[in-house]
Amino acid sequence: MLLNKKLLGRDLLVLFALVGWALALPLYGSEFAVSMLLTCLMYVALSSSWGLFCGSTRYLSLATAAFFGIGAYTSALMLEHLPWLVVIALGALVAAAVALVMGAAVLHLRGTYFAVLTFGMTELIRHAVTTFEKMVTGTVGRVLMVVPDRNTIYLTVLGIATLAVLTSILVRRSRFGLAMAGIGSDEQRAQTLGVNTKLVKMGGFALTAAFAGAVGAAMATRWTYIDPATVFNPFIGFQTVLIALIGGAATLWGPLLAAVVFSLLAETLRLQVPQAYMVGLGVLLILSVLYLPGGLASLRWSTFGQWRDDTRAWWKALREPGPKEGAT
Amino acid sequence: MNGHALLEARDLTVRFGGLVAVDAVSAAFAAGELVGIIGPNGAGKTTFFNALSGVQVPSSGELFAQGRRLTGAAPHRYAAQGIARTFQTPRVFAELTVAANIDFGLQFAGRGRKASWLLKDTTSILNLIGLSAQAEMPAAAVTPSQQRLLEIGMALATRPKLLLLDEVAAGLTEAEVDAMAQLIRRLRDELDLTVIWIEHAVTTLLRYVERVIVLHQGQLIADGTPAEVVRNAQVIEAYLGDEIDADHEAHPAHEARREPVAA
Repeated sequence: MLLNKKLLGRDLLVLFALVGWALALPLYGSEFAVSMLLTCLMYVALSSSWGLFCGSTRYLSLATAAFFGIGAYTSALMLEHLPWLVVIALGALVAAAVALVMGAAVLHLRGTYFAVLTFGMTELIRHAVTTFEKMVTGTVGRVLMVVPDRNTIYLTVLGIATLAVLTSILVRRSRFGLAMAGIGSDEQRAQTLGVNTKLVKMGGFALTAAFAGAVGAAMATRWTYIDPATVFNPFIGFQTVLIALIGGAATLWGPLLAAVVFSLLAETLRLQVPQAYMVGLGVLLILSVLYLPGGLASLRWSTFGQWRDDTRAWWKALREPGPKEGAT
Repeated sequence: MNGHALLEARDLTVRFGGLVAVDAVSAAFAAGELVGIIGPNGAGKTTFFNALSGVQVPSSGELFAQGRRLTGAAPHRYAAQGIARTFQTPRVFAELTVAANIDFGLQFAGRGRKASWLLKDTTSILNLIGLSAQAEMPAAAVTPSQQRLLEIGMALATRPKLLLLDEVAAGLTEAEVDAMAQLIRRLRDELDLTVIWIEHAVTTLLRYVERVIVLHQGQLIADGTPAEVVRNAQVIEAYLGDEIDADHEAHPAHEARREPVAA
């Protein structure tokens, strides 16, 4: 077997160290720091699991919000009847089941069509839930009465995020990961080499959805009040995609790295200057697409040298107009 | 499975809207055959290949692999039946290394399949196609002719029974074409592989294959030994008729008649 076993130890060690640090934070950190880390972990879980499927296969899914919302509603409905961890698992399962149905309908499409349809289906689910709540239960939102304590939620989200990164680490080195990379590179070629692409895509999409569902189920209890507009907020999906792209969707540590940057930006800027937060996101995305298409994770010392050389060349060209100036 | 052809097409037809790209073509391929497919530009050769490898679902007609019906199945099922192919423009996984490209086929269609020692693992396949030195290079970084070899290597990694080669000699120098032909012969002889080989350069092809199928406007107009085919009136007409409005790339009928079977 030639599958990439390289650096497995390093990746696991980094993960281990990060988890250790995150476990220790509530012991000495302020409440604000813990809350910030929780947001960060949520985005680590969402964008790492998104990158796991969408980054490697290049199927850009905007449906994260749908799975997140489904998880949240599962949690709201079941929290009083089932044990905490079962609720989380159920959120993941229901989201994965919905992903299988959605995937069967849209996974044969590629590119923009796939992205737009996943977005459309998310909106459809949001409106369906809204209508259902209005017609049947007669409410707009739901209050979660029995919620676990803050520490439990924190540990659960930490657990989901860890599992998401761990899954990424392992899947990248598996046949499943190789098949997804092949689909991302040239789907038809992968098929002619024996990959059952439909099965792989369905599996990957459901796996991504399961993580989003689990995160949704856990986060709903932290918000204590949920309504379709919050938990199916398309911004959750966009932000997941932005984080993954800025960090480097096809890389392991990129989404995690970018999630940290984001949650720092979010928590520091959003409350004081909300416009600046959105502008910051936009500028970061544009810069990363233009100058760092591989994402933050592709940043090397040599990248800076390259930028310097490019800037010098640009500056030189600006001062000495080329011979073609008179043309046209 | 005795008595069944390795791959059989019955009245295979592919339509694109009003255009009939492949028109009721029937052909059977036995184990160990080395077959060439020729035809003027737009004759439907590649479409025929796409149908044979499951990439293109035929509009009508049937496909059987060793008596098993495959019509309409997904391409990975064809790969699982031992049908491998290359593409006209090499479609390698550009970001993966040369070795990983080979490994891909071994991990999927070639997994668990009985194989000759020549196809034992990545190293032996790299040796066979002569790309051992490039093993750790990204596939995007090797030369176009090496990418063609890599395409063949990727197909071989599925440990096939039948290999469909789509213009693997196009754009190669004479020496490279010769080496390629030798490799293909060797694959057939040592792996007992059935090879179906499309080439636009007819003279090259006729020198190496034992059976030729001629397609013209989607129809099969001849199927026989190179010597028979080049004397076939319909074939000559197809090429001469083509010559009137085509550039001189399509002179092969003349050349073919001058040196009928060099092999």
